Amino acid sequence: MDRRAFLRTLAAGWVVDTILPGKAPIAGRIIGASHGVGHLVRDGGAPAPNGPPDLADVVVVGAGIAGLSAAWRLAPAGLDVHVLELEPFPGGTSTWSEEGAAPHPWGAHYLAAPNPEARAALRLLEEMGVVKGWDAAGRPRFDPRVLCHAPQERIFYRDAWHPGLVPQDELDAHDRAEMERFSRFEDELTERVGADGKPVFQIPLALSSRDPDTLALDRISMRAWLDREGYTSPFLRWYVRYACLDDFGAEPEEVSAWAALHYFAGRKLKTPELDGSHFLVWPEGNGRLVKALSERSRATVTLGALVTGLGTIEGGRVEVRWLDVRDRAPRRTHAKAVVVAAPAFITARLFPAAAARLPVRTSSPWVVANMHVERPIDPDMAWDSVLYDAAGLGYVDARHQLTELSSRTVLTYYRAYGGPDVVDARKSLVVAPWERIANDVLRDLAPAHPELREQISRMDVCVWGHAMPRPRPGFLGERPFEPLVLLDERVAWAHADQPGMALFEESQASGVRAAEALAPALGIELGSTWL
Amino acid sequence: MTQQQPRRWVHPALLAMVAVIATSGLVYELVTGTLASYVLGDSVTQFSLVIGLYLFAMGIGSYLSKFLEDRLLQRFVEIELCLALAGGLSAPLLFKVYTAAAAFRFALYGVVVLVGTLVGLEIPLLIRLLQFSVDLKELVARVLTLDYVGALIASLLFPSLLLPKLGVHQTSLFFGLLNAAVAMLATFLFPLDRGVTLRLRAQCLLVFGVLAAAFGFVSRFVDRAETVYFGAPIIYTAQSPYQRVVITRSPRTTRLFLNGNLQFSSDDEQRYHEVLVHPAVAALGREPRSVLVLGGGDGLAARELLRYPSIERIVLVDLDAAVTDAFRKLPVALELNGGALNDPRVTVRNEDAYKFLEDSHDSFDLAIVDFPDPSNYAVGKLYTDAFYHLLRERLSFRGVAVVQATSPQYARESFWTIVQTLEGAGWKTAPLHVYVPSFGDWGFVLAGGEELTAPGALRIEPTKLRWLESSGLPELFRFPRDIGRVEAPVNRLNDQKLVAIYAREWGVFTR
Repeated sequence: MDRRAFLRTLAAGWVVDTILPGKAPIAGRIIGASHGVGHLVRDGGAPAPNGPPDLADVVVVGAGIAGLSAAWRLAPAGLDVHVLELEPFPGGTSTWSEEGAAPHPWGAHYLAAPNPEARAALRLLEEMGVVKGWDAAGRPRFDPRVLCHAPQERIFYRDAWHPGLVPQDELDAHDRAEMERFSRFEDELTERVGADGKPVFQIPLALSSRDPDTLALDRISMRAWLDREGYTSPFLRWYVRYACLDDFGAEPEEVSAWAALHYFAGRKLKTPELDGSHFLVWPEGNGRLVKALSERSRATVTLGALVTGLGTIEGGRVEVRWLDVRDRAPRRTHAKAVVVAAPAFITARLFPAAAARLPVRTSSPWVVANMHVERPIDPDMAWDSVLYDAAGLGYVDARHQLTELSSRTVLTYYRAYGGPDVVDARKSLVVAPWERIANDVLRDLAPAHPELREQISRMDVCVWGHAMPRPRPGFLGERPFEPLVLLDERVAWAHADQPGMALFEESQASGVRAAEALAPALGIELGSTWL
Repeated sequence: MTQQQPRRWVHPALLAMVAVIATSGLVYELVTGTLASYVLGDSVTQFSLVIGLYLFAMGIGSYLSKFLEDRLLQRFVEIELCLALAGGLSAPLLFKVYTAAAAFRFALYGVVVLVGTLVGLEIPLLIRLLQFSVDLKELVARVLTLDYVGALIASLLFPSLLLPKLGVHQTSLFFGLLNAAVAMLATFLFPLDRGVTLRLRAQCLLVFGVLAAAFGFVSRFVDRAETVYFGAPIIYTAQSPYQRVVITRSPRTTRLFLNGNLQFSSDDEQRYHEVLVHPAVAALGREPRSVLVLGGGDGLAARELLRYPSIERIVLVDLDAAVTDAFRKLPVALELNGGALNDPRVTVRNEDAYKFLEDSHDSFDLAIVDFPDPSNYAVGKLYTDAFYHLLRERLSFRGVAVVQATSPQYARESFWTIVQTLEGAGWKTAPLHVYVPSFGDWGFVLAGGEELTAPGALRIEPTKLRWLESSGLPELFRFPRDIGRVEAPVNRLNDQKLVAIYAREWGVFTR
């Protein structure tokens, strides 16, 4: 799509419009990732910079979780860190909004209680006051207000809502038997340890067992694994599909069995206080983590900055060429070291010398819709509402963690486009007018909420063209768990594309790892690792 | 009998009759639609169903009119009287059905079809009655014009005047009376056999009498329907965003209901509130000066607190302004709480108690926690360890809290779950209970620091109280075996086991 078409789409999205004539109008617009501007890099359309360069100790390209985590790791060293972010907001797919009845997420909306091994994540949570202390066994104690309040989930199954994600009483004998079998397998797998003494699935990924038997699961898809293991129950297959779409934005056919089973067996932390829910949830979702990282990184963040290229210059410095998106002015910054916290395909364009070493990832497109609603108070409203067999993943209620009751709230709807044809899906989403996306959302929710149209005053939608890497079969690669960090002496790479799985802990660890790897080039001492 | 000819001078009166008939026809439709949406909710569906059925039934009526061949005038009067009864009594009867039986939907649609059919018969009959006096072109134009004008009048009057001033019940009865009046008028306007006329007029008077009696009776009649549920006449209702507030009063007793659940009965509320407040004051090792009341929007706990002259300040946090407003203004409420909520020492704040605790930096000697039972997750949050942690931060050194903790008799595990949860949040507890005839055996939990002990004597002269005395204190803290401590979980925000336990235990005792 060319720039003019992009701007036209954006302009059309801004227009307040109605969905159906005769109904109360629903306002709304498309917000979102700057596909058009971003594609300038792909199309080589950026002018050459001139004028004197800015100077910095470190430039971080990208203010997502990985980039901000690199800046956070560098903060104790007191360096001058500049973060350049293409979008007009920080956080990448963990971004959020404060408008309306409650702050609400625009992407990642919870963090499962991290395993004790995810030390960087727990360090941040402790700084935030979310981890209140540690028990005798070294396990973190969480602020109960942050753990997802009851009731967590409900599912719309056969024309009625049921508590939880599995409507036990409604399932037939076959469904129930296979769900029980899978659940037992899940428990066993969570405890299983490989021949090398490591858990078969761990978060961070890199601490997982390297047993060839387990790694062999990466050669087949989750769909093939289900077939092989003889799982035929329609409910179980829906359940696994829901999990794959929820975590990886992809259908089971498109997901490595290793990755999918990692989702079910990677969480090890078990304490009485986590019995009810082990999800850490804030109204603005992982936006709260973005805020925490931003505040603590003490870096200069420039939004609307499109990085167009990197190059080494004399004096052992790196030149970062970038474009101020507002005035299209070409700029450059000279730094002692650079962290590229961007997807692999962008990193390859910015730093072609490393292209051959970067992994090739497929990324899933997502649609997120924020619906501003007013409706009667339901004192038993769940956080997450899931519709069985719907196109999307359902919605979460932004007010859930707020204790005040109100009839006004924001519901955040998610839909992943998980099929193999990501390019087509992405292309058609990027040009889709707001009306069509909004109508699709309402139609998808209509079985459970025929009245929703009348309760919504506003629906904003976001199209994430490249929301998250898809861990397809083989994603662990030839040398599993040996991430590419240094692209050269002064340039490090940090992104969820590195492990190939979009988990907060992984993105954060990649940022921390990149920062620590640059210490020699910066001539600083960062102390013992945070990983 | 052959067709009777109306006299020429009757025309204006006849046309007024048409307007009245048309207005009342539409009013019945609006009344049933309104009632349906009140009771069944989903107003769009209910209104469209009622309107559709009603119009269809009018079609049936129009069709049936062709089978009425002779004695048209007499038939017209009889139909008018039937309509007066069916339409006039529709709202009170449907409300009665709603409170007594499950078949409300069928009754509703039955009434809609019956009234619609009768209304559908009216205009064709009237046109046929008048067709020999005026030429058809003129007649159809005039009658239908007035029919539509009547509809407009009804649609304007109903929402602006009738519904707000008269309510659905009196509106439907009022138009029933008008229909009966039209029937009576018709017997004067059209000449008929004397015997027939007299008989019709007698019927008119009978219907008129029934409807007038119903009209006079209607407020009590409606009360009686709801009384089946509440057990006494309702003297006050309000619907807030959170709950329905109902106050009933019989000659002896005033009761408060929230969402249909009894909150107190004036017969024995002193037992509840004296045990809620005075042992807690006695357990405090000093004179109380500042008190936090969470819930308790009826002001009855505040009334007990104000008996202590040492108390300088009471902050009462109750979510629902509909409750606190009622108990600040209604005479019957002031009689009970002695105007406690209007006392200068009392500050009423209408906000969420959890939010209040999170935001407040204030400090109190005593906290009286008197929430509704944990029957849903929103209220259940106020019974979690996280909430009790916050509460602790709001108390001054060696402060004491008391928590209403449902019935250890009906909900034994729920009661001990609350105790366990307070202890899980680091409080030392002293559970107590009292028999309140309206409620059964009721439980509370005193909570404080390590120094907390069950008090041996009250800090107030017993003559100032109505029920509690120092010698009765030990009995309150004694739990016989059948309500004694059972193993129970800590109620945490992220699982709220208490809500499920409470639903299971009380489910046995409620409908």
